[in-house]
Amino acid sequence: MIQQIKYYPDSSININAGPIRSFKESYSDMLRDIIDTMKEHNLDALSAIQIGYPYQLMVIKENEEYCAYANPRIITQNKPFDSTEESIYFKNHAITVKRYEELSIIYDDKNGDMKTKKIDNKEEAATFQRKLDYLFNGTLLDRLNPNQKEQAIKALAGKGIMPDKTDDYCPTFSKKEYFVSVTDKLLFFMFVSLILPLFGVEKSTLESWYTYDKFAFPAVILIMIGFFFYAQYEAKKYKQCTSCQIGNNIGVMVKRITVGVVFAVASYFILG
Amino acid sequence: MAKVVIMGGGVSGHTAATFAKKWLGNDHEVIVVTPNSNWNWIPSNIWVGVGQMTKEEVVFPLAPVYKKAGIDFKQALAVSIHPDGNADSDDSYITIEYTEEGKAGETEEVAYDYLINATGPKLNFDATPGLGNGEGQMGSHTVSVCTADHAVHANEELHKIFDKAKAGEKQKILVGTGHGMCTCQGAAFEYIFNIEHEAKAAGVRDNIEIKWISNESFLGDFGMGGLHMKVGGYVVSSKLFAESLFSERNVPWLIGAHVSKVEEGKAHYELLDGTTGVEEFDFAMLIPPFSGVGLKAIAKDGSDVTSDMFLPNGFMKVDAKYDAGAYENWKASDWPRTYQNPDHDNIFAAGIAFAPPHLISKPASSVNGTPINPTPPRTGMPAGIIGKAVAHSVCDLIKDSNAKLHEASMAEMGAACVASAGKGLTTGTAAAMTVYPVVPDFETYPGTGRDTDYTFGEIGLAGHWIKHILHHLFIYKAKLKPGWTLIPE
Repeated sequence: MIQQIKYYPDSSININAGPIRSFKESYSDMLRDIIDTMKEHNLDALSAIQIGYPYQLMVIKENEEYCAYANPRIITQNKPFDSTEESIYFKNHAITVKRYEELSIIYDDKNGDMKTKKIDNKEEAATFQRKLDYLFNGTLLDRLNPNQKEQAIKALAGKGIMPDKTDDYCPTFSKKEYFVSVTDKLLFFMFVSLILPLFGVEKSTLESWYTYDKFAFPAVILIMIGFFFYAQYEAKKYKQCTSCQIGNNIGVMVKRITVGVVFAVASYFILG
Repeated sequence: MAKVVIMGGGVSGHTAATFAKKWLGNDHEVIVVTPNSNWNWIPSNIWVGVGQMTKEEVVFPLAPVYKKAGIDFKQALAVSIHPDGNADSDDSYITIEYTEEGKAGETEEVAYDYLINATGPKLNFDATPGLGNGEGQMGSHTVSVCTADHAVHANEELHKIFDKAKAGEKQKILVGTGHGMCTCQGAAFEYIFNIEHEAKAAGVRDNIEIKWISNESFLGDFGMGGLHMKVGGYVVSSKLFAESLFSERNVPWLIGAHVSKVEEGKAHYELLDGTTGVEEFDFAMLIPPFSGVGLKAIAKDGSDVTSDMFLPNGFMKVDAKYDAGAYENWKASDWPRTYQNPDHDNIFAAGIAFAPPHLISKPASSVNGTPINPTPPRTGMPAGIIGKAVAHSVCDLIKDSNAKLHEASMAEMGAACVASAGKGLTTGTAAAMTVYPVVPDFETYPGTGRDTDYTFGEIGLAGHWIKHILHHLFIYKAKLKPGWTLIPE
């Protein structure tokens, strides 16, 4: 059965695929799904995780034959080279990574028997390494250094692979974080006011800080209430947003209000 | 008054003994039998092995600590277990041979009501020709960091290499596992990166080639089938994580390797793909495989029943499922929960001494049939937790013979590991990792076998500080200083 392919930035591809332990019916079903999906999309290779199966299985089309590699491992690798590769996950956006030209691999065949194979062809070796990375929850991006990765992510955004603003996905940065950031800063300075007496600060200065606390505490309450309503608005706006769940929002709000109350009470007794 | 005898004074045995004494008080007797006079915080041996700590910083004498706690300490080697006594008596006992200066070689029978086997492993150097000296000890071709004394020796040899490199001679260092069935890849992993760190600090890195060799089928397997962790908000597999570390530090690797023979400056190996080769070295630290310490079990009539109590590898049988069969049938429930010997209710095994039901990593053999796969790690945190659970069970059984036993299955246990990659207040690095559960549970967590929410890692300076703090914290705990029970295993 043809399965839906995962595309960047679907993070569900970042699940570590477990070893295949049984080569019975479910294995055959999974293998059939991978091959059907490859045929549908005219692909030369596909890892199980790319269609949502968290298992260590990849299929590579070799001379019109679909070859399955279960539990594959690279035992030796030689002759590094820069490989410019495309992957269906990135909708064929090209990224250059370091690969090895010569590989000695082991894998399990359809009966679960271990097989060995030597690969000494750049293209075949690069494909094998790319698909293997997917099985260990890595993509092309994970083979880049932090600077290259940042550039690649920017380039991918420019290619329109990131979801449109109208999509259901939640944004990588939510404006509700501004509420949290301001609250944290207010709380931080409330905490500072509590430890000032330890440093022998003058009484007039302490009075000024106490005044700050008297305004900061209600501000924390109001901002957190504002946060909650705004967060609920976002939760309705983005359907696929785990961080938007009401439990998370209540947790963020309660945690900060509790800290605010503790600081306010302490301020009353220490500075008041 | 019940008599609890604990064989072994390492992480698991010491934990079991100290908690048993705390819970039982002076109403019952707790005896520790261990051939070593010192307790050793083994995770810090890697720092001794590069000269960043002295032996004295990682060991302390056990006798004063046990005296203070009211534990009877016998510095001796446990030789045999007589679970049903002998022809003259039904009382269970063990035989021991003293190693203490002045009493060395003397033997004694020590009776017990409850016995905890926490002997740890025998470092089976002789399993690989040339790795051992043929008499059960480490050979002269390689070094080890498995004990504090080994680590001191390793540091001396390492600095000879550094001196040669300073003089402009090209040197090659090989670090990893010395057999296809080794465990403890983590210690070798830490040691190679500490060597790399020290070589850089000494300004000799350019003259030293450093290479990794291990029996893992992929980097980052660690004998646990690998793990996946959240690093800086991203989920990363230990394979990619380890490959990045090795690549960034210019350390090539050889994996799926069974070291078949060691000679002066040469390690012969066989790989999973069946190929063989030789790796030359000027300095090599190869972890030996572990086996049981060679305890015998003797029946009442004097016959040898060792094979009933122990598996062929010398580890003690407990409440595990040892007939799970093929890999596809392995389950989390195969792993022991109470660590009670199936034939003797008053005998338990903790830490490395218990026999695991099977591997954790996927089993593998080379095309020539040589098994090459990491054996399950049972050191550190799991060893401490198991030791404590077993002590709890024994204490409860003393008070109520029908008491429910405490459980500590590695398939339901999380573990934290901090792997050093270099020591230094501002330049240190360590990878801090947690994994849950230690043994993958493929039924509860299909596919990966582990819960990603509780499996995470981070690498950096903070990790090093944590490792350093843990060093002091665990030695403080082991010395039974005030509040020691509050420090977790």
